[in-house]
Amino acid sequence: MKKDWLTGYFFTLPSIILLVILVIYPLFLTLNYSLSDMSLTSSRYLGWTAYNKLFGNKMLPLVFKNSIIWTVLVVFFQLLLGLGSAIVLNKPFWGRSLVRGIMILPWVMPGVVAGMVWRLIYDPQLGLLNHYLKSLGLIDQYLTWLSVPGSAIYAVIFSAIWKGFPFSMLMYLAGLQGVSAELYEAANIDGAGKWKQFRYVTLPSMQPIITITFLLTFIWTFNYFELIYVMTGGGPAESTHIFPTYVYDLAFKRFRFGDASRFAIFDFLFLLIFSLFYVWLSQRQKGAEQ
Amino acid sequence: MKTHWSGHVITAIQVLLLLVFVLFPFSVMLSVSLKAPDEQFTSPPYLIPKRPTGDNYLHVFGRGSMFVRYFINSFTVALGTTVVVIFVALFSSYGYARLQFPGKKFFFNLLLLSQLFPLAAIIVPLYRIMGQAGLIDTFASLIIGYLAFSVPVGVWLLRGFFVGIPKELEEAAQIDGCSQLQAFWRIVVPLVRPGIGATAAYILFLTWQEFMFALTFITSQDKRTLPVGIFDFVGQYETNWGNLMAASVLICIPVFILFLFVQKQLVGGLTQGAVKG
Repeated sequence: MKKDWLTGYFFTLPSIILLVILVIYPLFLTLNYSLSDMSLTSSRYLGWTAYNKLFGNKMLPLVFKNSIIWTVLVVFFQLLLGLGSAIVLNKPFWGRSLVRGIMILPWVMPGVVAGMVWRLIYDPQLGLLNHYLKSLGLIDQYLTWLSVPGSAIYAVIFSAIWKGFPFSMLMYLAGLQGVSAELYEAANIDGAGKWKQFRYVTLPSMQPIITITFLLTFIWTFNYFELIYVMTGGGPAESTHIFPTYVYDLAFKRFRFGDASRFAIFDFLFLLIFSLFYVWLSQRQKGAEQ
Repeated sequence: MKTHWSGHVITAIQVLLLLVFVLFPFSVMLSVSLKAPDEQFTSPPYLIPKRPTGDNYLHVFGRGSMFVRYFINSFTVALGTTVVVIFVALFSSYGYARLQFPGKKFFFNLLLLSQLFPLAAIIVPLYRIMGQAGLIDTFASLIIGYLAFSVPVGVWLLRGFFVGIPKELEEAAQIDGCSQLQAFWRIVVPLVRPGIGATAAYILFLTWQEFMFALTFITSQDKRTLPVGIFDFVGQYETNWGNLMAASVLICIPVFILFLFVQKQLVGGLTQGAVKG
């Protein structure tokens, strides 16, 4: 038995060591920096009172609000669009595998490139969006999508939905292929229409995959840095900052490492608590159903 | 069950709408990459270039452009990371899939938990550690930094492939006198080759486009990777959209080709890893 333990550690130790050195240890350092007033040149230890500076910071509510709006809208529409397109691509039609291949391209496109392309699309003079909307009579004059605080965040959100929904689609497509045909037949015999079949056969069978996909996309979106950084840099007037972009800004543009670390710790703790609560909730629901 | 013809029409319309939505940004990218400056700045803009030209592509590769250098840099860093990750993850994922040892569940959960970490939460300490080690502005800093997120992903993905292989094969090999390590290396690893390919492709894809570390750890121009290097075409006052989009197309091509080859295995691995993980 003891020999087995040794083999187990032999196999897994390299990854454990890397994880500790590159993730766990740095996280403790961040926690440590967060208790100080660290900048490029000086560092003063403040202890836990340092967190008064975080909660007194006017940017915290704004960044938190943006992060929530950004994440909830992006994840929700990726779920909707992902599920919808998975259902369409699950039907038989000519050229289906080619279409499936094309549909995942946005997800495969490097984030920085996607950010640049969308910047061009939204460009007030050169962008096609304004031109098309004006041709359709939906707007009277060219709008500056990314340089007005009100619209910038929603413009970025739209791009993020486009960029990420193929992942949800892939997951749901795999899920749909796992729903047993017998259930549909039984539902058919019972006279259930298309909607009822979706509601009472498809959705329940897909529940586990929807649960996990939602959590994954939530975490990824909450931590997604480059799209916003490339498209708006957090502007205009700091109106599109979410946690990762603001932490980066604080750390490497203003060199306020202490402040950056406090925002980072808040970000991490929020995600941790959210994820634990989410997993607990979904397990409890699963337990209640059985 | 025969579908009524109207059902086919509805499907066709749905597929068409999805394709337009997905492909529109790609068509913008391609279109502008083929436009000469006078066409790029025409108002109102239009999608199909009247006189398509390859000048932007020539320019991206031309004299004074660092693009080829960035390409090589990106490739070096991505490949370096992937080799290390695959080597480490092969052993670890097998350990988590098959072997029993105290603390296994704890360490695996820690691995999954690391997915919660925003890279922004560890970038400041990593930057300082790299600085103290004298690694700032080296490819090593990027490769080491990338291990932070790609090792957990690699282990998680590969584990799904190992779980799918029947245990009896190794047990038979061990009865025939193979050690555990031999059974692993000679019997199991060859069987997960498609999984290795898919995992390697996913790590290449992640590192090829990584932006935040690349922006922070690399300070000299000739060591930049593509996602940062592409900003050469973004001027302070005016962006060279033609060159920028040509470069964008070129950055996309390798990952698109990669996905073409491993799409099936990768999708299988991602969905299985997620459901079983």
